[in-house]
Amino acid sequence: MNEMKKTVITLNVNNETYELVAYPNRTLLEVLRDDLHLTGTKESCGEGVCGSCTVLVDGTPVRSCLTLAVAVQGKEITTIEGLRVGEKLHPVQEAFVNHHAIQCGFCSPGMILTSYALLKEDPRPTEAAIRRALSGNICRCTGYAKIVEAVKSLAEEGK
Amino acid sequence: MRLPPFQYLEPTNVEEALSMIAVHKEAVKIMAGGTDLLNRMKLRLIKPTFVMNIGKLRNMDGIDSGDTETVIGANTRLKDIAGAPLINKKFRAIAEAASRVASPTITNMATVGGNILQNTRCMYYDQSRMVLNGLERCHKRGGTVCLAVKGSQRCFSVYQGDMAPVLTAFDARCILERKGSTRTVSIRELFTNNGVTPFAIGADELLTKIIIPKPEGIYGSAYRKLRLRGSVDYPLASAAAFVSVTNNRKVTTCRVVIGASGAAPKVIDVASCETDLEEIAQKAYECAEGVDNLQMPGAYRRKMVSVLTKRAIKAAINGIKEGM
Repeated sequence: MNEMKKTVITLNVNNETYELVAYPNRTLLEVLRDDLHLTGTKESCGEGVCGSCTVLVDGTPVRSCLTLAVAVQGKEITTIEGLRVGEKLHPVQEAFVNHHAIQCGFCSPGMILTSYALLKEDPRPTEAAIRRALSGNICRCTGYAKIVEAVKSLAEEGK
Repeated sequence: MRLPPFQYLEPTNVEEALSMIAVHKEAVKIMAGGTDLLNRMKLRLIKPTFVMNIGKLRNMDGIDSGDTETVIGANTRLKDIAGAPLINKKFRAIAEAASRVASPTITNMATVGGNILQNTRCMYYDQSRMVLNGLERCHKRGGTVCLAVKGSQRCFSVYQGDMAPVLTAFDARCILERKGSTRTVSIRELFTNNGVTPFAIGADELLTKIIIPKPEGIYGSAYRKLRLRGSVDYPLASAAAFVSVTNNRKVTTCRVVIGASGAAPKVIDVASCETDLEEIAQKAYECAEGVDNLQMPGAYRRKMVSVLTKRAIKAAINGIKEGM
């Protein structure tokens, strides 16, 4: 058995600082869900394929199931819980609701955060750019059309 | 899927990283983006004592263009390569390959060095313990059989990296550093063509840079790949082409490299620059291993290698025409 030592991990999640003692083999996904109880981030495939566990690290979408928590200390981590503005949903979340882009909702946190990052980088993406950006997020319910429509509505508004 | 236990190392510079691997050698696995390594660990294909994170070593990062060569740091994220105007303009195939690795979120994390050094894959190997427990131990797992090619004395696992074929088409070199010394090798020399141990790199060596020599004359390049979905998947067959011509449009070089066709990218020997397109495609077909060990039938993948070879060469030639 490999001897593994616990270490103090300091994470900045949604503009709050969390300090925890954990083994280095804990993924960011595990820490977010099990230690910080931020269960908006979902685990599905666990191997970087589906995009359910997508969070933002310094504004960039990454797979939290393939990210070690210990490796993202000092970086700004944003989960779906950090997107709301006060008690209001973020415009990207609102667009998903208004366009019926959510069915079971399991892919939605990853879809929304990926869309948010895309719109930050390119406020008026083309439909091709939207589809390309979301091509690593898998949805088994909506058939994608409503999701693309939701993001397009924001692109047209330049939000 | 939980990761197995390990001790975590995070060097702050390349020298410290080299010292760490000089001490721990085979016991340490190097993590850059983590997208390949952590999956292999989750499947318990490897259980390293140490994981060394080099992802934060900034002096191994970035693209630097000089008069005679372009240097890409091994830690450069694939997204940055795909989006770099210089790479898109001068090394089109490299940009195409980088943009088609897995999915956009993976390219935000994965590095070119990690992509080059990803292990070979096989549907009888890249599986959970539960599946593997029900299978006979194959060559890649230290056994004596191949489950993909019954009776085979060797491993038929497949190298499915996207970046190595295009970098080979540009005749790239790699800088490997170990504590106290550095060596430069052709990217072709990185590969053993043995599925069990696919890389000719010492346990105490670190891939730090990839050097692309400035091509001669007027040239074009392209990369084409086959995969089940338009995103996410590894290549099931691929072809990279580099074509250069003189001012009077005489072809001087036509270098074709096929991927996902064996344990290493394969350079198709184009004896004469005047070789017919169909003839090159036939050679690519003959070089490809059509084994039923990935998601599509081996015979189909093999045929597609020849199709992709033709498409890549045509696209490279079109690139030349557009640039003229």
